[in-house]
Amino acid sequence: MSLNIRLRVNGRQQSARIEPSLSLLDLLRDTLGYKGVKICCNTGECGACTVLLNGKPVNSCVVLAADGAGAEIVTVEGLAQGDRLHPVQQAFIDTGAVQCGYCTPGFIISVKALLDRTKSPTPEEIEEAVSGNICRCTGYAKIVDAIHLAADRIAGRT
Amino acid sequence: MAKAEFKVVGTSPARIGGVERVTGKGVYGADLMLKDQLHGGILRSQYAHAKIVSIDTSEAKALPGVHAVVTAADAPDVRYGRTYFDRYILARNRVRYMGDPVAAVAAETPAIVKQALKKIKVVYEPLPVVLDPEEAMKPDAPILHDDMPLPANLPKDAKVKNVCGYIGVDVGDPEKAMAEADVVVDEVYETKMIHPQYLEPRMAAAQVEPNGRLTVWANSQGPFPVRAEIAKMLGIALNNVRVISAELGGGFGGKGSGITSGAAIEPICGLLAMKAGRPVMIVLDKAEETISTTIRSGAKLYIKTGVKKDGTIVARTGKVIYDAGAYSGFGAMAGGRCTNMLGGWYLTPNVHIDGYVVYTNKQVCGPVRGPGGPQAAFAVESHMDSIAAKLGMDPAEFRLKNVPKAGDKIVGVSKLRDVSLGETIRIAKEKIGWGKVKLEKNQGIGIATGSWIESAGPGGGAMVKVNEDGSVTVQIGKIDMGTIPGFGIPLIVAEELGIRVSDVTVANVDTDAAPWDAGTVGSRGILVSGTAAQLAAIDARSQLFKIAAGQLEASPDDLEIVDRQIRVKGSPAKSVSLDSVATAAHNIIGEVIGRGYFDNLAMAAAEKEHGSSQPFTAHACIVEVDPETGTVKILKYVAVHDIGQPIHRAAVEGQIEGAAAMSIGQALCEQVVFDKNGRTLNASFVDYLMPTINMMPRIETTLVHGYPGAGPYGAKGAGEIACVPVLACLANAIYNAVGVRIRKLPLSPENVLRAIREGKRS
Repeated sequence: MSLNIRLRVNGRQQSARIEPSLSLLDLLRDTLGYKGVKICCNTGECGACTVLLNGKPVNSCVVLAADGAGAEIVTVEGLAQGDRLHPVQQAFIDTGAVQCGYCTPGFIISVKALLDRTKSPTPEEIEEAVSGNICRCTGYAKIVDAIHLAADRIAGRT
Repeated sequence: MAKAEFKVVGTSPARIGGVERVTGKGVYGADLMLKDQLHGGILRSQYAHAKIVSIDTSEAKALPGVHAVVTAADAPDVRYGRTYFDRYILARNRVRYMGDPVAAVAAETPAIVKQALKKIKVVYEPLPVVLDPEEAMKPDAPILHDDMPLPANLPKDAKVKNVCGYIGVDVGDPEKAMAEADVVVDEVYETKMIHPQYLEPRMAAAQVEPNGRLTVWANSQGPFPVRAEIAKMLGIALNNVRVISAELGGGFGGKGSGITSGAAIEPICGLLAMKAGRPVMIVLDKAEETISTTIRSGAKLYIKTGVKKDGTIVARTGKVIYDAGAYSGFGAMAGGRCTNMLGGWYLTPNVHIDGYVVYTNKQVCGPVRGPGGPQAAFAVESHMDSIAAKLGMDPAEFRLKNVPKAGDKIVGVSKLRDVSLGETIRIAKEKIGWGKVKLEKNQGIGIATGSWIESAGPGGGAMVKVNEDGSVTVQIGKIDMGTIPGFGIPLIVAEELGIRVSDVTVANVDTDAAPWDAGTVGSRGILVSGTAAQLAAIDARSQLFKIAAGQLEASPDDLEIVDRQIRVKGSPAKSVSLDSVATAAHNIIGEVIGRGYFDNLAMAAAEKEHGSSQPFTAHACIVEVDPETGTVKILKYVAVHDIGQPIHRAAVEGQIEGAAAMSIGQALCEQVVFDKNGRTLNASFVDYLMPTINMMPRIETTLVHGYPGAGPYGAKGAGEIACVPVLACLANAIYNAVGVRIRKLPLSPENVLRAIREGKRS
């Protein structure tokens, strides 16, 4: 039994015929070609596949594609405006927070969700916002720097 | 060269390749999709040790959508390995760990692959399993490899089994010195197996070209070793194999296939593509990776040291039991390094250590970040504190008392050029507030040091091609996983050619085009490819000067290159642009291509004459232990490193912070856990705990200057050494906090709590 779903991805209407068991991750990556959504643990533990589902960050590997029906999805591909990077993307580059870069899209989405909520996150809020994202390269220090820099730039503090 | 003379070396410009990565366009191996590709999957042994009685693939082959099913019978009867050739790409007659590849399938969809793998019928005859390397050495242990000889250098009186590597360290007369020591401390330490857990899954994609060549895309740290392994295992000439490096989402030595003879998915994928006549791609599932790919081995470390009352070390003896896993893999190299490092990096005139690398029915040892180093340093640096405690000496002072100086030798290094160890200790003390900071109840302070290899090894080349617009394309054999192609190399080339960092592209490794390289391992990126790229850029520059000299009517020796202008020194008005000279080359030599290489013999000779410039480090931390739960919270962590001249400063800091974090994970929570049958109990990320931001302190990094290394501008490798001191640094701080010495990793809540309770009882 397969079903037809429609959803908006990065502002663009998409439709697909899917199996009910398909994950949102597989729909986005394999069916629709959003390879910026990274595949890793498939158990909702590492955050590499984080996307915004109606404005909230979710691990797309543990969300059914069917639950995305009618939803507004934002992936890392949807943040830059032409050649102009989103402040969070730019901050990750500027602070050296991108080593291998595989966790980066997931982190950027989690941080965007945080900074959409608050322009002046506390250290606790920052920790909470990315506690579901694992990075094996950086030890997190430069990622924290990137989050602060992005917040400051968005709030016009720098 | 004084620091002020650099234009870009030592700065932290944006990483090359950053935009692709933050916009989700970076094409990693796992993101590839070939036209008409099939999906591949591997059937793995469900026994840790068994004879394969029979394999029936007929039902799997008959399944609609299946295009190829392969077993050992489909591959040449050739074995691979690094020191011992003890492994087939697909198990032949016998499996030796739960995860050993037995068969592989290529099919239209991943779902059909799964179905087909289930339909392959393998009849096993289980054999006795041995998981503990010390047990595996005993006379009554089951033998894993009947046809592999014991190492030729094994001591005559050693009655051992299953040993696939022996390393002996002998300096002076430790027996006599030990007998004359005032204080002797004798301890045993143990570390557990951990998995590097890079986030991007291991993959391979293979395609037979119309001309019969085999193209393989691999996210391996060693594209050339992978090419060699594919050619050998599939019986193809090297010129008919092309390996293209896909961007790596982390590696940490775990993706050192070919180098270590680890999981060998590339030849399996090639075999499937040849059999199916269509492109095939294999992407490992994360839980499958945890049980099957190469790991950081656990080690048992016996360590005994004799010291004089004043704190002078006089003798060290010890034994290392290093777990190779089911095949020799990288075991002999990692175990060898571990054995040497158990001798320490302090002045120790008399040393005897036996290192045994032992087969067990577990997955295979790889070159995971600083292979052998963290294990040895956990013992050495915890032991240093135990000795200091027995002497009633301050642990930092005890270390400083035994620091070597320039010209001295330490185990494994016959002559040191200069020694930053003492300075790193002094700075670490200052940064952490040693003896000054006020500690609350259950808080403790700890220090530990480390060193790492910086010496001759495989060579490697670079080509610097100057394009007619003045931009530059660089070819090296090392890959980008947050390492030199995106960071250090563009700076070096920009420095020498007077161009912008953004004018430099470092090409992805394609074995048809790039110079041969041993792989991105061993902290050798800057040393090997950095040196080669610098010399190649200098070579390109002299070719440019030769052409420009005619145009400027000056001697090439009188020219300089600044901001993409080649000009006469002292007469900046007399200049030609770099792009015009590069364009002019078209009608003269075609293209300016600079060539450079890291010359291993030259380095060995320089080391012999001047000594080698080892990197040293000291870490210090403050922890708080919850005596009710055993939880350890790191309140402050400082990492002081001599890595010579930093090329890309933020990249160096990032390597240090990341390596320290990885070892904090090993110290506090990470381990691969087995049941008695050799089944991994925590294969998925749900159960394999890794540090998240919540448990990570901010690593405060300090770089020590004034100790140039053998790399370009005096750089030293920075990728691994920060893994080394962490385990003991935390164990020492826990000891300082609650008075218990934990000698077995991890320093997890349950182990800390048990130690506190046992400490109270005794």
